[in-house]
Order: sequence, then C-alpha cells, then structure tokens
Amino acid sequence: MNFTVFKYARRLTGRLALVGLIGMASLGAAAEGRSVDTAFGKVTLEGTPTRVVALSENALDVAVSVGAKPVGSVATRGGNDISAYLKDKVGDIKIVGTARQTNLESVFALKPDLILAPPDLAKNEYEKLSMIAPTIVPKATSFQDWRINVELYGAALGKEAETGASINRIDNRIEALKAHITPGQVASVVRWNPQGPGIMSAHLFVGQLLKQLGFKPTAMAEELQSKPHSDPLSLENLSRIDGDWLFLSTLNADGEQALQTARQQPAFSRLRAVSEERAVSVDGQIWSSGASGPLAVNVILDDVEKAVSAQ
Amino acid sequence: MIQAGKGARFSLSGALFCCVVVLLVLCFVSLLVGAGEVGPVRSLHALLSSGDGEARFVISELRLPRTLLGLVVGVALGGAGVVLQSATRNPLAEPGLLGVSAGASFAVVLAIGLGASAATLNLGVAVLGALAGCLLVLLVSQVRGVGDDPVRLVLAGAAFSGILTAISSLILLNDQRSADEIRFWIIGALAGRPQDALIWSTPGALLGLLILMPLIQPLSALALGEKMATGLGHHPALTRFGALTGVAVLVGTATAAAGPIAFIGLVVPFVARRLVGPDIRRTIGVSLLLGPSIILFADILSRLIVRPYELPIGVITALIGAPVLIAVVRSHRIPTL
Repeated sequence: MNFTVFKYARRLTGRLALVGLIGMASLGAAAEGRSVDTAFGKVTLEGTPTRVVALSENALDVAVSVGAKPVGSVATRGGNDISAYLKDKVGDIKIVGTARQTNLESVFALKPDLILAPPDLAKNEYEKLSMIAPTIVPKATSFQDWRINVELYGAALGKEAETGASINRIDNRIEALKAHITPGQVASVVRWNPQGPGIMSAHLFVGQLLKQLGFKPTAMAEELQSKPHSDPLSLENLSRIDGDWLFLSTLNADGEQALQTARQQPAFSRLRAVSEERAVSVDGQIWSSGASGPLAVNVILDDVEKAVSAQ
Repeated sequence: MIQAGKGARFSLSGALFCCVVVLLVLCFVSLLVGAGEVGPVRSLHALLSSGDGEARFVISELRLPRTLLGLVVGVALGGAGVVLQSATRNPLAEPGLLGVSAGASFAVVLAIGLGASAATLNLGVAVLGALAGCLLVLLVSQVRGVGDDPVRLVLAGAAFSGILTAISSLILLNDQRSADEIRFWIIGALAGRPQDALIWSTPGALLGLLILMPLIQPLSALALGEKMATGLGHHPALTRFGALTGVAVLVGTATAAAGPIAFIGLVVPFVARRLVGPDIRRTIGVSLLLGPSIILFADILSRLIVRPYELPIGVITALIGAPVLIAVVRSHRIPTL
C-alpha cells in the first residue's frame, strides 16, 4: 500500500517535471526570457507583453513608437489627458493617474503584464506596482543620454531591434539636418512667463539634441546641472538668455499669441534673437515637460528644421 | 467726540512728514537697485547725467514702470486695508485674509477659463469679483457670533479663499490653454506687467479713493458704536455698504494690475495706528503713504534676495505680514475698532 502510493507519487512528479521542461522549452522557442537591469535590480521578462501600462510620457512615447498599444497611461502634467502629440497615436487607452500620482486600483483593474515606470519612482510605490506586474524603473535620470531609457523600455517591451532602428534613424536625421545649421550658434530654450522666463537646463533631452545638432547652450543653461529649469529670471537679466536662437516654450495652444505678448515687453523685444526674427514659440508639453521618446524627438527636429529653413 | 491723537506716538503732521520721506527714499532706491548688472552707482550716473544706454534702458523701461505700478497698487491696498478694518471694526480685516482679493483674482481666472483674453476686461471683472467678496464679508459679519469676533471673520474669509483657490486650480487643471495666463492670478507680481496696466489702474485707484473720501467722517463716527453714529446723523448700514464698494474698486484695481498681493491691508493699518492712534481720520493719510512704502520695500527685497532671479512679491509681503497677524491675534485683547 505504502509502496504503491510512493511509486505513484514518484511517477507523478516525474511527469510534472517533464511537462515543466517541455513548457519552458516551448516558451524559450517563442521568445527567450530576458533580463532587464532596473533601478530596483534585475527584472526577468518572457514573451512579448501585450497589456502594457506606461506610467510616464516618455514610456508611452517609446511604447507607441515601436507599435505597442499600451492599455493604460498617466495624464500629461497640468492636463487630464494624454499629451496632444501622442493623443491620435494611442487609440483607446485608460488614464490611470497623473504624472505625480498613480491610481493603483486602476492599474490593477487593467491586469497589465508589464508596467513601465518613470525613473524617479519611490520604492514603496515600486513595491506595490511590482506585485501587480513586472515593473521597469530606469536607472538613468533625465539628465543622462535620452537614448539609455529608450533602449531600456524597448528591451522590456521585447522590441530592442525596433528602438535601436529608430535611434539610428534619428541619428541619421540629425546628421542630415546638422548640415543646414551653422555650427556654434547659441540656442536658448526658456519657459516663457511674463514676469521673467525660466531657463531650461542644457543637460536635459532637448539640450542634448540641440548640442548634437551643433548648437551651443547659454552659460546659465549649462550651469543647471541638476535642476531641470531655473526660477523666473529677472527681466533685467534677460540678456543672459540671448543668443542666435530663442525657443520660447509655452503651454498655450496659440504659441504665436504668446510670442506677440512677449514682444510687448521691451526687455524681450530688444534681444538679438528676437530683433533678428529668430525667436520661435514651441510646444511646452514637448520642449519643457517630461517627454523624451523617439516621437518627441521627431517633433523637436521638425520644429528646428522649420525654424532653420525659414531663414 | 473722539479725542484726536489718543494713543498716538507722533503728531499727525510729523508722522505724515516721516512717511513722505520714507516713501521718497524707497522710490529712489527702487530706481537704483535691481537683480541685474546695473548697480546703484551705474544707475545714479544714468539718473544724473546721460549715463550708458543699458542703464538708461533698465531704469526707464523696467524699474520706473514697476515703481509707478507699485505706488498705485500700494495706495489702493493701503487705503482699502484701513477702510475695511474700520467698516468691519476688525483689526484683522484684510482684503487678502477676508477673501476680497481671492474674489477678484478668481473672477479673472473664471473669465479667462470661459475664453476671455482681453486684458482690458480684467479690471471690470476683478472689481466685480472683489465686490462679490466684499458683499460676502458684509453678510458674514452680520451673522451673530461671527461678525463681532475678529478671528472668526478671518476664518470665514480663509475658508472662502480656500474654496476659490481650489476652483481656480480645477480650472487650471482642465484648461491647458490658459495655464500660463492664469498662473499670474494666483501668485501676483509687479514686474513684467503690460505697459497699459498703469494707465488703467491709476483712474481705478483714484475712483476708489473718491468713493471713500466722503465716508471717512461717518466711518470715524461708526467707531463709537452704531447708536452713537446714528445719533450723530450718520447711516451705519449705508456707510458700510459705500465703504465696501470703495474697497472693492481699490482691491479689484490692485489685483487686476499686480495680481493678488496679501497682507498689505493688514500691516499698513497696524503700523498706522501705532503711529497716529486708532482714529481713521488720522490713519487714512498715513496709510496711503505706508501702503506704497511697504509694496516698494517688498519689491526691492524680491529683486535682491535670489539674484539673478526674482521672487514673487507676494512671498515677501507674506513674510512681513504673517508676524504682524500673529502679533495682533496674540495680544491679549484684540482692540475693537
């Protein structure tokens, strides 16, 4: 009696092990289990995720750019919907919180199989999210090369080849555009505010792109090593944001109107970039918020190309 | 009758003279210093002789407009503060604390949120909003147990401001388009205001003062109590209503010109009473000089503290005003006015 039970049990475990082995082998054939190095250690993923939740604009940008259809994302900063430049590309998507706060219940309800989180996610938040699905928190901050996180999200999505190719395309486009730009011109990116503009750090993603295009940042933008943007600069010091080009980032839909309002400020209209008609109003949601994916890059390159070719 | 100069430390003419001197010095300093590279010496050269172009530009296009705007806003808020305290007989009454400024800025935010963008519209809208805020103060002060308790009136005002700020934030969240425009109506500043702000705010401030001038005598009588004032031939209800209308015009004008700037209306009457005693016939003149002095002082500090950047002036006025608020509340008996 005892013996038979033992034999039966042994046979069962043997079969289970066999089934397990076959199962793992078939999975491995579909897509190899891959390990992604995140801020909270290595995360192992298998297969191509189908229910992705992107908890930052950048993650959403990357996911959309490789053709994934995320099921959930967060509202853009200061708004209650997806950023306008991504809106028509995402299709049906659920808003699961804001850039500052994620609604865990909404994330859970979506039954995700992968969560792409922003780099600064707090540990307690990570612990909760990672119980829902594998959660990818990048190590690199927004002050490091923008490509690092694009590649990381791409690897997590199982689309390394696609992100690699899109980075290559971008690099080629930059090289082509660079040929039309006189090197060494000073380009300044500021968040416009009538009481005084906030200077955007030259080390963020837009600054990195402009540098690669051959532009030089202003000294004040270069000094912002760890702050994304400065406090409002005194209008008396407006000459410090002056240069060959001035990209005026506003959240107003009508950027041209914001530029007109700015021109009414005498300290602004006497800037060299402004008097030489090289002040351009650009979309603040892409130029001075959290965006930094391949789709945002292309919008920025479009803006620069338009400005340069208008000369 | 009220004893002229009861509790006063200075004679009225002496106090007025000192205030004029202080104000003139602050005007001068306001033209001389800034957050930029044009320092006092260069500015002085530019003022006295021709000087260099950069310094002349900074003085005439940046410092002079904000100084003049500071004068108008300071007069409006100083006058509004002292009259509001008399009309409510409350030493804590302040347009910012009672929600009058919040009413004005909220009205503008609402107008922008509904699609208006014309700057000229703002003055009318702000005055209407301030008027609504004033009427609410009038209503609340009639409520038994609240009207005669200075602290409770301020609490009611804080709750009212809180609600309006919350709705403003809601509009800000929902309307990306106007986010840049609206932000100003939550913080307030003297720098970078459109050049015509001075042109339309000056008549606004003058109108407010014109409404208030004939009411100073009745307001002074009101300090003796409703019955006494009625006995002297005044109409307390009418006086209060007129005074609050004038306050609304002044606060609405100041808010439309420079955004909400809190605590000026509290600090100015507080200092004025210390100088010349509690009678509004004596404090009003001093207040009209102290208001712009404190605004200019705060504005000068706002340029110097975080050079080459600038702080919003509201931060400085709050730093000056909050200790005064605490001092008034902590003093064992809050003087009834």
